[in-house]
Amino acid sequence: MAAVVNPKARIIATTLILLVLTAVAVIWVFPYVMLLLTSVKSQGFLLKHNIFALPDRMQLSNFKDAFTSAGLGTFVKNSFVIAIVKVPTGILLAALAAYSISKHGFRGRRAVYFYFVIGLAIPIQVTLLPLNILLKNLHMLNSLMALFFPYIAFGLPFQIMVMRGFFLTVPNELIDAARIDGSAEAQIFFGIMIPLAVSALAALVILDFLATWNEFLMALIFLQSPKNETLPLGLMYFQGQYSTRWSLLCAGVVLGILPVVIVYFALQRYFTAGIYAGAIKQ
Amino acid sequence: MRRLLASGVKPLTPLFFVAPAFLIYTVFIVYPMVDSLIVSFNKWDGVSPQKEFIGLHNYAEFFQDQHSLEVLGRTLQWTIGAVVVPTLLGLGFAVVLNRRLPGRSVFRGVFYLSYTMPLVALGVMWSWIYNPQFGALNALLRAVGLGKFEAGWLSAPQSALWSVMATNVWYASGFPMVLFLAGLQTIPQELYEAAWIDGARPAQSFLHITIPSLRETFVVVIALLIINSLKAFDLIYVMTWGGPGRSTQVLGVWMYFNTFLFDKAGFGSAIAWIMTIVSLAIAIPYIQVLTREHA
Repeated sequence: MAAVVNPKARIIATTLILLVLTAVAVIWVFPYVMLLLTSVKSQGFLLKHNIFALPDRMQLSNFKDAFTSAGLGTFVKNSFVIAIVKVPTGILLAALAAYSISKHGFRGRRAVYFYFVIGLAIPIQVTLLPLNILLKNLHMLNSLMALFFPYIAFGLPFQIMVMRGFFLTVPNELIDAARIDGSAEAQIFFGIMIPLAVSALAALVILDFLATWNEFLMALIFLQSPKNETLPLGLMYFQGQYSTRWSLLCAGVVLGILPVVIVYFALQRYFTAGIYAGAIKQ
Repeated sequence: MRRLLASGVKPLTPLFFVAPAFLIYTVFIVYPMVDSLIVSFNKWDGVSPQKEFIGLHNYAEFFQDQHSLEVLGRTLQWTIGAVVVPTLLGLGFAVVLNRRLPGRSVFRGVFYLSYTMPLVALGVMWSWIYNPQFGALNALLRAVGLGKFEAGWLSAPQSALWSVMATNVWYASGFPMVLFLAGLQTIPQELYEAAWIDGARPAQSFLHITIPSLRETFVVVIALLIINSLKAFDLIYVMTWGGPGRSTQVLGVWMYFNTFLFDKAGFGSAIAWIMTIVSLAIAIPYIQVLTREHA
């Protein structure tokens, strides 16, 4: 936005903005501060003191307890497994389809693209009951397999949209030259296109990892035994079982969001690229 | 003349590339969608082999049932809150953070962070914050002398939905912020400079340059927010389970209760399809914005 010409007025304006922004940011961060603070207190301390009081000693065993005796470890493991298997697979399938839609020039490609993109507006709820029955018939229900195909399916619309957008920016000459050199389509795809698309793929990997990690409704319905269930379900049980043991509860939530925080902070700049590329055209 | 295929591409190749995604998508999304539609024309408990065909009766029942109409109203309330406030906040954050400010990436991170988290975790955390005796909110009010505003945020029917909505705003505002930031980057500085030379004040620049340039971003933001808010489930399920009473039942939750808890699979499927029709109708301008450029 246009700068205010008077430099002194500009400094005052900037300072004011910073103050307001900081105040809002403090409000935004406040829940996390309380969460972390409470997660290192003992239950006894919590009951005796004000909620804002700093603990005299930190009870880090809360985290170990949440992980082991409260069973969050199993849920975390399951979430990891489904994420690690599903994310690369789904994105690969999306990239294959998107590349073909954008560069193979087959008739009907716009209809196919539209068919996929429409999926962005389909609420999960409308697929739940038939999926439940289908998965039961396929004997996949109540295992992590139950989530594998539906998760892939729901990730495809966005991923195909983003990858197609990327592939459209690749000059056709590049592909034509490779074809003239005798390269097969698969060679072109894996040898040229994938390396070119690394940053778009990275952004999709992060976004998809998060979406998979956070998914709740399908996991709630398709998984029934605790040994197969994913972290969001685990946190829900956690709340039910330890509803008054606030310090343990907070420690559990911290464990539940820690992987996400790590992934986010480590790879922050890819996020905005991914969302922008996917949601708005250049 | 339109060619069937780009030159040098063997006819079956696109098939191999597209088929896996196409198959999985069709089997695990499209087919269940169609099946839900068929189920919605029946009276069924979801398990027994017999279904009873009743045509559009489930849909008629929905619009005549008082509970369902209240659910519809609450969904509207939820959607307005989940769209308008995050959009305005996100726009505000983006406009402010678009300038060269010290620490702006920290601020961006703070406001966006929650959107990366599992809603269940946030729901558990905020249920605790809203707890009347042990929660941070009431403790904070007490500490600053506003003790008379203490309340049973999630346990009182009048405030339950608003409380969950507030949590949702806190969760979701970073998302429009990121989209608006990206959109703001595409506005050429020269426009603002020219306006400044012409004597325009910042507010005028904002209204006449910034807002119109962000038109496409607005379409995308609002469409996505509406689509997401229609299927809202996680936060409400974990924080209030539709209650107290039915005061936080919205469409996404109501569908789940009817289909999986009340054994009214036909009715629940009709609810799901009502959600879908509204969602698809909203998506059309969004998809138009997207598919404007094509290969």
